[in-house]
Amino acid sequence: MAISSGYFTRYRHIAPLAMLRACFGAVLFVSTIRFIAKGWVYDFYIAPKFHFPFLGFEWLHPAAPAFMYVIYGTMALAALGICLGLFYRICSITFFICFAYAALLDKTYYLNHYYLVTIFSLLLLLTPAHRYFSLDVLRKPSLKITKVPAWTIFVFKCQLGIIYVCAGLSKLTSDWCIKAMPLKIWLPAKADVPLIGPLLKYEATAYLFSWAGALFDLSIVFLLSNKPTRKAGYLLVISFHLLTAMLFQIGMFPYLMMSATLIFFSEDFHKRSIHFFQGLFKQNAITNDEDLCLPVKKLHQQWVPVVLALYFIIQLALPFRFLLYPGNLLWTEEGYRFSWRVMLMEKGGTSFFYVKNPQTRKKFEVNNRSFLTAYQERMMETQPDMMLQYAHLLKQQYQLKGIANPEVTVESYVTLNGSGSRLYIDSTVNLANQQETLFGHKKWILPYQGKSPQQ
Amino acid sequence: MKHQHLFTTVIAGLLGTGALLLSCSKSDNSTSGPGDPPATTSDTVLVNLGTNIILPSYQRLATSTATLDAAATAFTAGASSATLSTVQAAFKDAYKAWAACSEFEFGPAADRFLSTHFTNSFPTDTAIIKSNVGGASYSIDGLANFAAQGFPALDYLLFAYGNDNTLARFTTNGNAAGAKQYLTAITASIKTKAAAVADAWSPSGGNYLDKFVKATGVDAGSSLSLLANSYVQDFDVNLQNYKMGIPIGIYGPNTLPKSPTKVEGYYSGLSDALLLAQVQAFQAIYQGGLDDKVAASKAQYGAGSLNDAINSQLSNLITKMQGLPEPLSTGIQNNAATISSAFTEIRKMTVLLKVDMSSALGIKISFQDDDGD
Repeated sequence: MAISSGYFTRYRHIAPLAMLRACFGAVLFVSTIRFIAKGWVYDFYIAPKFHFPFLGFEWLHPAAPAFMYVIYGTMALAALGICLGLFYRICSITFFICFAYAALLDKTYYLNHYYLVTIFSLLLLLTPAHRYFSLDVLRKPSLKITKVPAWTIFVFKCQLGIIYVCAGLSKLTSDWCIKAMPLKIWLPAKADVPLIGPLLKYEATAYLFSWAGALFDLSIVFLLSNKPTRKAGYLLVISFHLLTAMLFQIGMFPYLMMSATLIFFSEDFHKRSIHFFQGLFKQNAITNDEDLCLPVKKLHQQWVPVVLALYFIIQLALPFRFLLYPGNLLWTEEGYRFSWRVMLMEKGGTSFFYVKNPQTRKKFEVNNRSFLTAYQERMMETQPDMMLQYAHLLKQQYQLKGIANPEVTVESYVTLNGSGSRLYIDSTVNLANQQETLFGHKKWILPYQGKSPQQ
Repeated sequence: MKHQHLFTTVIAGLLGTGALLLSCSKSDNSTSGPGDPPATTSDTVLVNLGTNIILPSYQRLATSTATLDAAATAFTAGASSATLSTVQAAFKDAYKAWAACSEFEFGPAADRFLSTHFTNSFPTDTAIIKSNVGGASYSIDGLANFAAQGFPALDYLLFAYGNDNTLARFTTNGNAAGAKQYLTAITASIKTKAAAVADAWSPSGGNYLDKFVKATGVDAGSSLSLLANSYVQDFDVNLQNYKMGIPIGIYGPNTLPKSPTKVEGYYSGLSDALLLAQVQAFQAIYQGGLDDKVAASKAQYGAGSLNDAINSQLSNLITKMQGLPEPLSTGIQNNAATISSAFTEIRKMTVLLKVDMSSALGIKISFQDDDGD
């Protein structure tokens, strides 16, 4: 079925977009303030001596400590600007740049919801979300429009669709569906949660939650897209995300999703909420929304579908790039990030790194904590690409200490979903000489065998 | 519309089962004994660990450090080989009692500085001790003095010179007064801190016990997370690295291949007894309820259960510790094979505790209060 380009460029009411901007912006603001208040600017970007940059972004470094706070302060103000629709263009661009910068500095802190914030703020800055229900419109009434091309709303729905469906598909594994892992480990540990706590110790609950979670992820965008099921769908969104907020330490993720999915509601619903809201501030609710269409250049109209198509092809391809690699994805984590794989594994590890001076043939163990923070160490110990980066860091550090060609090996043990710890990395391989490649498989990751750990 | 029906049914079903199970578990709770703390807000494992392991360990430490302080005072009042041997024996008792407390470095112990850093930093800094004994002004619990206080400093003061010379240092030596003062300053400090922590845990005192049993769950800040983090840290860092790894010379590249003088309890030769006491404490804590949680998780290890693997490794380790050459410092030089096979077992235990146990309990080993997704 061909969707004509008119589908993206026809005019729709701006209310859903404006409401999304206001709500999502509010969550961004709270989330940034929370980040600062928890002292994470210091813990994440100032305290560590070294960082784990993303491939291709090794040139990015944390700014001077005071400046890191300035960046986060700016980010908070920009989020407020997004929420209120004040100096929106500047604020949305600033927020995106600051946030993406911080997110790219260190893999340790990678979370799917930081990725979500990065791409949502990118999409937001491309849309005229401030030209209705905003301080910019109060400031400069000529900015006001009531109709926007449909793609400005559609992109968010499509993006959310990809997120939920990919999250759902990634749950269709034997660990999740047949063994109810890792919920079988996580839920009984939460027996203290009010109300449902006592339920959590039963294995059946883990199965129920696993299946219901997968079903929810796979079906929710369709429930939200159709009018008859929308309300029930949103109730599910709220209960699902509140439940996860109660059970797991996942920060702002539930609130980001609850605000983002508001985009699915009809324009009438959003118009009514906006009018209600304006009524609270004793503003004359604009009852006669005459049609003010966003002027669109012809060129724009031709390119928009192409650019969107490209963007979403990438979005669809990223979660499936894991197919390029052999082995168990959860074990190797090759192609794991940027794929909406959420809460899929209970993985823990510990690693003993050794440095050998080939001249003297002396070999000694490294104390990881003298280079990394506890958090960096923990994340590094289960992620091979970070181990490789760490090995390179050790090589460089011990070269500075006078060992010309240090050999770096690791004795690393990892357990995945309660299957028992076992050797993770080939401990004979000199990681100092291994290189990171874009889509190359790391042959030194020992293959995962379902049952038999070492001994 | 079909979907809506389906989902209404699902939700109704979920709520229904929820209500049903909730009411069942409520009736379970009412069967608990009248003497138990309110079961709705506590965890029986935490109750057992707090009441039967942690609190008694601190009480033992409080008693034994009070005895130590009294013996030190008696020794400084009337130094003789008899009073010296009394204070030496009291020291060994108290040091072993500490080995059963170093696993709990959170809550009252952290607040009152009864930490490994202040109580058990070894090798002790003999230069600072000599200067303090020689009349330099010091604050016993001062930040700069951490490496010259606690049990390792006592180990040095009471054992480093053999009994006759030690007696002389406390009687005829020109710095005898300084030595006496320094000895009792340390024993008094440990005694005060141990008493304060025991009191802070005790239901008749600060009642941290109550807070401990009520902070359920496994998130950052929950009792189980605090305990497991401290427990694993104590094993990984204090036992594996400091008590064994560094003395046998696995860290480098600037240390000597072996540093046998860096063992714990070097002067008294108490290293083996302390290691054994600590591993036995690890076993008691594990079997005080962590084992039930690990068993309930049904986590596997090899062909068997993780719980069995941990239990058997704990007993393996105890056997190894019992077979260590005495004193450890000499053994490190002369008996490398025994020591390195003990270290291998310690390492296996570290992996089991840090990786498998914490994973089975759903606890993150890291002190960062961070988000996941």
